[in-house]
Amino acid sequence: MKLLALLIAAGATLGAQVTVEDIRSDPERGEDWLSYHGGYEGWRHAALDELTPETVGDLRLKWVFQARMDQKFETTPLIHDGVMYFTVPQNDVYAVDAETGRGLWHYSRELPPKLIACCGEINRGLAMHGDKLFMATLDAKVIALDRSTGRVLWETEMIDYSQGYSGTHAPLVVKDKVIVGVAGAEYGIRGFIDAYDIATGERAWRFYTVPGELEPGNDTWSGDSWKTGGGSVWITPSYDPEANLLYVGTGNPGPDWNGDVRLGDNLYTDSVVALNPDDGTLSWHFQFTPHDTHDWDAAQVLVLVDREFRGEERKLLITANRNGFYYVLDRLTGKYLHGREFVKQTWASGLDDSGRPVLLEGKDPSEAGTKVYPMVAGGTNWMSPSYSPLTDLYYVTCREGASMYYKGPADDHQPGTRFWGSMFMNEETNHEWYGAVRALDPETGRLVWEHKLFQPAWAGLLSTAGGLVFAGAQDGWFKALDAKSGEEKWRIQLGGPILASPVSYESRGRQHVAIAAGQGLFVFALP
Amino acid sequence: MHRCAWIYLFVFACAVLPAQHGEENPFDSHEALTEGRLLYRTNCGVCHGMEGRSGRGARLAVREHRHGNSDAELFRIIQNGISGTEMPGLWLDEDSIWKILLVVRTFEQNAGDACELQPGDAEAGRALYFGRGGCRGCHTIGAEGGKLGPDLTYIGLNYSRDQLRIALRDPARDVAIRYRTVRVVSADGRAEGVLLNEDAYSVHMMDPAGRLRSFLRHEVESVRKPGGSLMPAYGNFNSVEMDDILAFMCTLRGPEAAQ
Repeated sequence: MKLLALLIAAGATLGAQVTVEDIRSDPERGEDWLSYHGGYEGWRHAALDELTPETVGDLRLKWVFQARMDQKFETTPLIHDGVMYFTVPQNDVYAVDAETGRGLWHYSRELPPKLIACCGEINRGLAMHGDKLFMATLDAKVIALDRSTGRVLWETEMIDYSQGYSGTHAPLVVKDKVIVGVAGAEYGIRGFIDAYDIATGERAWRFYTVPGELEPGNDTWSGDSWKTGGGSVWITPSYDPEANLLYVGTGNPGPDWNGDVRLGDNLYTDSVVALNPDDGTLSWHFQFTPHDTHDWDAAQVLVLVDREFRGEERKLLITANRNGFYYVLDRLTGKYLHGREFVKQTWASGLDDSGRPVLLEGKDPSEAGTKVYPMVAGGTNWMSPSYSPLTDLYYVTCREGASMYYKGPADDHQPGTRFWGSMFMNEETNHEWYGAVRALDPETGRLVWEHKLFQPAWAGLLSTAGGLVFAGAQDGWFKALDAKSGEEKWRIQLGGPILASPVSYESRGRQHVAIAAGQGLFVFALP
Repeated sequence: MHRCAWIYLFVFACAVLPAQHGEENPFDSHEALTEGRLLYRTNCGVCHGMEGRSGRGARLAVREHRHGNSDAELFRIIQNGISGTEMPGLWLDEDSIWKILLVVRTFEQNAGDACELQPGDAEAGRALYFGRGGCRGCHTIGAEGGKLGPDLTYIGLNYSRDQLRIALRDPARDVAIRYRTVRVVSADGRAEGVLLNEDAYSVHMMDPAGRLRSFLRHEVESVRKPGGSLMPAYGNFNSVEMDDILAFMCTLRGPEAAQ
């Protein structure tokens, strides 16, 4: 009898384990949310259809989890086996009952007193595998927590955080490794992305986003500028298991707004690099903004779609980039297939046949200030876009407006200090800003519909099999739009800016939608 | 512990440990000042003026700052803001805040009397303020007055005569964000006030009577933000009257002075 009980207990534990196959097939099942994007393809699409344009009007607030914080709440919660796991900005982790929001355990992290984070001390979420959760920390560590207790199982230092490095994005589990990159391109770092053994925390490989001496691409940096070249990695990569390629969007070159001290294209900043996840070797790269002087990181979620392109079935990588252009690439080769602007931009006359921007004169930052569209935060940013296989549309949060870009000195870099090469200013231009949720034809980038937002938003999107797109706004409104038309079907005021991307899961047979806003995590379901 | 070890520790502490946060500005180099000027231009100049001679925010070219003068106090103000005012805390690392403070200190070296008491008769100006000028309907001095416009209790500390003259003659030239005008037309008529908040679906104002009013966009005919100021231009003051009222305003340097 005792043996039987043990076997049942072991079976129950094993049943709750999360496998790589679970992560891969998560988008088809829909009841859980097992990885940052809700699947390797970066779709942020839920295969749940209880909520539809017809039923969503009855959507009700089910529970709220209040967390104490004084930073931006950007987390994507993960849900498995009735438990929700999420981070709060300063690297605390909570496990709560997904049905009621009641707390199960809390991991509290002690951080050094002086962190170096350009844009707030934030965290975007966790990765999950087996009985573990993984988190990148603001002091540049990767940690594994026991999913049942929050106990630290291993902790590995990526690099000395005091040199300007930090970890902010949700890691990604691929095979037996957890993939994590570093933020910090505002501090003269040399960016990289790492893979760690999920069992031991031992580092398996490192890919530097700025090539070292004698490596291909190093000649795109003048002098020693590569040493402080930036190229951070601060958004979760996408992954194609069949091609066995990891797609990583990279950050801006440093210093941000003065390119004189880093002449050349500055590879592989503002790029997508396709890596073999087994050993970190580079398969191909595509650079969206060569020699960027406007801080237009390619830290956008890269969406992988298999569909027809100009009459031929292709494996595509699609992305709306911070620089204002929408791109279609062949994700097996990196070949540029198509591009067009998706917001107002005034810095390039277009893209040439290879996808390289054709620059307009006088758009570099200057001492007197140069007005350029899009704004410094870009035509979009890190918040997740969504792709729905039902509508075959790509949904993206857009930011319309310009910034004044200033140029200043950038000669002397001290590790761990700001390396910006001057500034930007929005005060003179922000009166004309606005935001929008846009649905684009994935093949052409052509606008299909638009839902205007009062301000440029920092919230990501979720599409669902019920034909909805959930969207958040800076003015605190959380909304459900008809995925086919963009028509608003439901909204609620959450009392704080929404700086996160929504998820959906099933609990007790009902579809739930969760979103972080202000200092709370809000969960909705039909009554 | 061996004496040499103490000496070593002392030297180590001096050389390695950073200056105690909030005590004294660790920067004084020309390079730090240059970087501070860039930071100031982007983060502070819009409100305080590029030379600290004010604009929307407090004048920084003063000998004494109202909320504190030590490095530690000013550091905290720049970092955390001043609650109840438009001064926000800056999301900057400590080194950047210290460098901005270097710039603020250069302004102090240029501090004169912000608001000259002469020429003009302050008592006559007071009569104008409370009488024909109708200023108290919208402005507060100490605990007295209306709420629609900016509090003038400390105005004599923060603005020069020239700035105040411009504000009286041409109040629309530079209106602080908090005092922007909004005009709503609905079936009930026209409502005008200062914009308190707005989003995609609603707009909120304080009307000239100090009443807080809210409107749903779909229930009104139009919402306009015409720019400008609700304050009338005081072009009807002759030069003597203008000197008088400026002299009175220059005396406004705190609740006691306002008695």
